[in-house]
Amino acid sequence: MKKFAKLERTSAHVVLIIAAILALIPVYWMVRSALATNTDIFDPHFHPWLVDFDWRNFAQAWSSQPFPIFFLNSIASSFLIVLCQLVTSTLAAYSLAFVEYRGKSVVFFCILLAMMVPMQATFIPIYSMLSSVHLINTYGALVLPFVGSAFGIFLLRQGFASIPKEMIRAARIDGASEYRILWSIVLPNAKPALITLALLNFVYHYNDLFWPLVATNTTNMRVVPVALTYFLNQDAGEGLQWNHMMDAAIFAVLPVIILFLFGQRYFVRGVAGTSIKG
Amino acid sequence: MKKMAQNIEDVVADSASAGRVVPRRLPRIANRKQTAIAGFVLMAPSLVFIGLFVMVPIVYVVYLSLYKSNLLTPHPKFVFLQNYVQLFTDVDFLGSLKNSALLSGGMLFLSLPIGCLLAALLNMRLKGTKFYRTVFFAPYVLPLVGSGLVFTLLLDKDNGLVNHVLALVGVPPINWLGSSHTALLSVMLVSLWQYSGYYMLIFLAGLQNVPQSLVEACQVDGGGRLKSFIHVTLPNLTPTIFFCAVVCIIQSFQAFDQVYVMTDGGPNNASSTLTYYIFHKGFQMYDIGSSAAASVILLILLSILSLIQIRLGRRWVVEES
Repeated sequence: MKKFAKLERTSAHVVLIIAAILALIPVYWMVRSALATNTDIFDPHFHPWLVDFDWRNFAQAWSSQPFPIFFLNSIASSFLIVLCQLVTSTLAAYSLAFVEYRGKSVVFFCILLAMMVPMQATFIPIYSMLSSVHLINTYGALVLPFVGSAFGIFLLRQGFASIPKEMIRAARIDGASEYRILWSIVLPNAKPALITLALLNFVYHYNDLFWPLVATNTTNMRVVPVALTYFLNQDAGEGLQWNHMMDAAIFAVLPVIILFLFGQRYFVRGVAGTSIKG
Repeated sequence: MKKMAQNIEDVVADSASAGRVVPRRLPRIANRKQTAIAGFVLMAPSLVFIGLFVMVPIVYVVYLSLYKSNLLTPHPKFVFLQNYVQLFTDVDFLGSLKNSALLSGGMLFLSLPIGCLLAALLNMRLKGTKFYRTVFFAPYVLPLVGSGLVFTLLLDKDNGLVNHVLALVGVPPINWLGSSHTALLSVMLVSLWQYSGYYMLIFLAGLQNVPQSLVEACQVDGGGRLKSFIHVTLPNLTPTIFFCAVVCIIQSFQAFDQVYVMTDGGPNNASSTLTYYIFHKGFQMYDIGSSAAASVILLILLSILSLIQIRLGRRWVVEES
């Protein structure tokens, strides 16, 4: 391949640096506002850096709402969803990838279609179904709708496709049960796909605002994204506490950022792998 | 890869050490029926839950859309298609539909080219590529609620960074979120920031599948870098572009969190999207019939899009049999 000329490389760097600065400005502004005093935020004399900062903001914001409960709810419900999905999706993906039976392509087609149905289009029926069994405002309501996942099946099926079929056939000839094949051959070879699904899913449900907003209605059942919107409604007394709002945003973002930095290659795999294969 | 090879050897070794002669044909035929049953048993948990929480609700929402009701009245009234007729005379619904279309269009013409450009630049494998990739992709995993709050502050009329910077070049303060001309644009900025890196990654994967020999051939024939990109790389990226376009439209039609956090659909419905309308009608106004009818329209739109995607997808998603 022709080497890129110096001019080309420099101009590419310039564009990339400008784009990176634009991408980082919201992050910088979040941190800056989180540390600033409210008088600083509302200072009419504009200065992009911090004049005066106060670490106590974080402590004040943390104690202004029951954050430990929000985090417990968020993490526990997302974790339960991930666990359930890993089980149901692994079984289904195994069935689609390695077992031959009639009607399989119909099942797969339905799964592809189900993947596109957004919660916002079906939340009323789901709400009334769950409310008729008195599950609204419980972990059941937060978790049950996501136990089966079309996306999870799709992703794992792609991951399983790289396992050679000869291996499965050989094991069957040896008389291994389906359960044994799944446990000792497929799972050990599909670890990256499983980790990808777990991470993508955890982050997706941890970030989700819509369903928890609908499915819960008391403070002790709320999750972190819903709690963030509380800061918008405190307009009454002292005006919006912008610095505390940004502190809370940082609390919310931190777990996701940590997961992302440690598991970046799995996120990349998940995104690139579901789009184009082959 | 190495690990997998090891496992194959293990399996082979196992069957060898078992040391018995396997009658190859008989057990296979006997197994066929058993494996078919196993196949269905393994699918069952997923099918039950997807059936209960995706398929049944779809049928139920169609049913609800034919009735005038709210969650409190015990006897919903059958009105057949009246809810749909009302929707198409409701300026709020038509406005939300238009906003969703505008949001999709805006994202298509801004986010996709930005993603493609960034991917092309990263594909030059310059120094720092990994850093850039992390910076561009990271916003995708952040909670939209958090990004929405940050952008609300950035775009604040009196104290926002954007207006401060604009003031430096003499632009008077713009009421980004409070004006019906800019509210939807403000919401779109969040999506743009959040999703461009995602499209970049998909384009990057696509670019790596473009045969280098073709690009080189074009350059040997005297085509410049730009010419070879337009005439060789882009045509080879067509499947990726289609995939991104469909995902982009689907994602835009589902936009809710940003709207809820930043504008509540306002001012005067100027930034309400289809999903926000459904939520507002159903959850805040308890007008279940209209909300369900709007849901059905959203579902029809999305299933047309995903059918297109599945059809196109057949060409490049590995389909083994």
